[in-house]
Amino acid sequence: MTGADLVLEALEQEGVDLIFGYPGGANLPIYQRLPEHPKLKHILVRHEQGAAHMADGYARACGRPGVVFATSGPGALNLVTGLCTAYMDSVPMIAITGQVNSTQVGRDAFQESDVIGATSSVTKHSYLVTDIAQLPRVIHEAFHIATTGRPGPVLIDICKDVQMAEAERTPRTALSIPGYQLNGHVRLQDAKVAAEALAHAERPVILAGHGVLLSHAEQALLDLAEKAGVPVGTTLLGIGGFPVKHPLSLHMTGFMGTGWCLKAVQNADVLMMVGMRVDDRVTARLADFAPKVTTFIHVDIDGSEMGKNVRPHIELVADARNALEAMLPHVDSVDDRRGAWLTQIDAWREEHPLRYTHSNGHLQPQDVLIDMYKRCRNEAVVVADVGQNQIWAALWWNYDRPGLFINSGGAGTMGFALPAAIGAKFARPDLDVWCVAGEGGFVMTAQELSVAVEHQLDIKIVLLNNFSLGMVRQFQDDFYGGVRSQVELTHIPDFVKLADAYGLPGVRVERLADVGPAMDAAQRTKGPFLIDFRIDPEANVYPIVPLGKGLNDFWEAPQQ
Amino acid sequence: MSDRIRVLSVLVEDGSSTLTKVAGMIRRRGFHVRAITVGPSGEPGRSRMTLQIDAGHAEVDQVKKQLERLVEVVEIEDLTEHDVHSRELVVARVKASAVPELVAKGARVLEPGSVSTTVEFAGEGEEVGAFVEELRRHGNLDVVRSGPVVMRRTA
Ligand SMILES: Cc1ncc(C[n+]2csc(CCOP(=O)(O)OP(=O)(O)O)c2C)c(N)n1
Ligand SMILES: [Mg+2]
Repeated sequence: MTGADLVLEALEQEGVDLIFGYPGGANLPIYQRLPEHPKLKHILVRHEQGAAHMADGYARACGRPGVVFATSGPGALNLVTGLCTAYMDSVPMIAITGQVNSTQVGRDAFQESDVIGATSSVTKHSYLVTDIAQLPRVIHEAFHIATTGRPGPVLIDICKDVQMAEAERTPRTALSIPGYQLNGHVRLQDAKVAAEALAHAERPVILAGHGVLLSHAEQALLDLAEKAGVPVGTTLLGIGGFPVKHPLSLHMTGFMGTGWCLKAVQNADVLMMVGMRVDDRVTARLADFAPKVTTFIHVDIDGSEMGKNVRPHIELVADARNALEAMLPHVDSVDDRRGAWLTQIDAWREEHPLRYTHSNGHLQPQDVLIDMYKRCRNEAVVVADVGQNQIWAALWWNYDRPGLFINSGGAGTMGFALPAAIGAKFARPDLDVWCVAGEGGFVMTAQELSVAVEHQLDIKIVLLNNFSLGMVRQFQDDFYGGVRSQVELTHIPDFVKLADAYGLPGVRVERLADVGPAMDAAQRTKGPFLIDFRIDPEANVYPIVPLGKGLNDFWEAPQQ
Repeated sequence: MSDRIRVLSVLVEDGSSTLTKVAGMIRRRGFHVRAITVGPSGEPGRSRMTLQIDAGHAEVDQVKKQLERLVEVVEIEDLTEHDVHSRELVVARVKASAVPELVAKGARVLEPGSVSTTVEFAGEGEEVGAFVEELRRHGNLDVVRSGPVVMRRTA
């Protein structure tokens, strides 16, 4: 067998059904053998970044690792942004890149680049395969590492001569990766102490991150929150971990979180942070974060998160689900001042509701999202891009379970939404997939429309077109003295014509009255559909915490 | 030693990417290498790194925790607050006239010469510092230091 066959066979054994990729000189031996492995369906993308985001969206939508192929040099380097996006958000992915012949490595051969060097800061692990004896072991190791513990992308760079080399198939042996001990670091001894601290607190709050989704801890979280009577906010990536319409929900936290969530965090005495990194987008100015907390509880599967940003008093190093389930039996009596705390939160919810301008004659993005939500409820996947569109899609939709909201949180990668939506649709053909994007991010990866058309994927593209890099424009207006610098997108394509050129239907909507009919058309149409919503160019995201300020200082939308 | 510095004995896989991965982790987390020694370990296919790392603006416990995340890193012992043997080797070329005094301080002659003599000195951290001072006083011609290798005391 050739090295290429060993690779492809290992992928089959790992249960891979889809590969997103792009061929080139250094991975041609793999592509030559691909037709002999019909169980592996290959999606030919239009740019390798698109492949990485598709694999990412696929993984986020169904939980199985996404698989990517790319050639050496420029092909592999085009993956970097996609790897970074997956790495920052702990998404399982396998990237298999071709490398020049092992004897050519280091000679600046055609399309040679140091892919391990270029990607080691954005991968959980990586391998350079220079000897066929490493195959298929590294493939199986890579899947194990990508999908267990804190998931992440793993890259395998395979020299072309190894792909062509011949070897006997060897029986599969048990994995042994001494430097990767999954359960070596689990610490759950303090589950009881944590449960009691939470239950006996006067003003407790739970914040839930992506780890809750990744570990399927949503039921355990709901049980714990209800049993201990604790309100729950989520991070941007934690959306879906707790139902937004639940009476204990604080919706989203962080520097663009809801007013009532920020009030709760800033007044809490016990704050439990579950499956999250506690990054600057969550804390805003660190010195002012949750100043009344006497006990921080941090739950994360990655022990290095403990104390990285906020030093916890109680640490549970474990999968979020295991940790929450370990806490549950220890919640006995709940502090009797809890009623007053929840009443206070309800008052804040009344006082600081989400609101927006809707009387200036322009189409408002929130109106579009509210219409979408009315149609889809929680039976569709929303894949958002980055910018104002992302935060509107996060806040103006009532997600009630994991897997329905997908976006690039940690990296904030513009251009993510369309390819990720394509990947999500491949992963969940049973669900409608809506891609919400700004016109700026959309054009960064718009070439992947071809993939949506080629495979007639039912993806509804909602462009919230404000003719500007809206989020940056808002920052300039609000925090940089109103100096609008390089944010007007004066020359953008006619998106309806662009859609037509790619072979999908599209319509433009400028008035509220036309939102419904356009959405009807999108839903009636099989296959991809694009709507170019010309929204209020001055619409802003609120609440927002000014850069450098603490969570207390959030600004709200102007009162109507 | 500043409380920002961690002394770690790290057992690593002896692979082509190990050093860059360890170094990359140190750099991108804002740490700084004060000293590093690498050599074969007792186990085949594994090397032993002794690192003195300044945590920079990070929390000091991050140094060990971040290195532990690397798959190439098999085991880390944090020796910072422990009673250790910390040995370092110094090799220096000195004027012949300085040799008797240096030998009295514990140096060993490696290669005598009429103009210059090469000596070596091995010792614990502070002893090495004092010896290097002494060399400077004598106007040494050239000096190289190995960086420390560290092992926990058994007693
Ligand atoms: C690849 C990339 N480049 C730059 C940025 C910085 N950035 C964040 S939001 C934003 C504006 C996005 O504009 P658009 O896609 O039109 O979305 P809007 O904010 O208008 O909804 C920019 C430039 C980024 N996040 N990603
Ligand atoms: Mg825009």
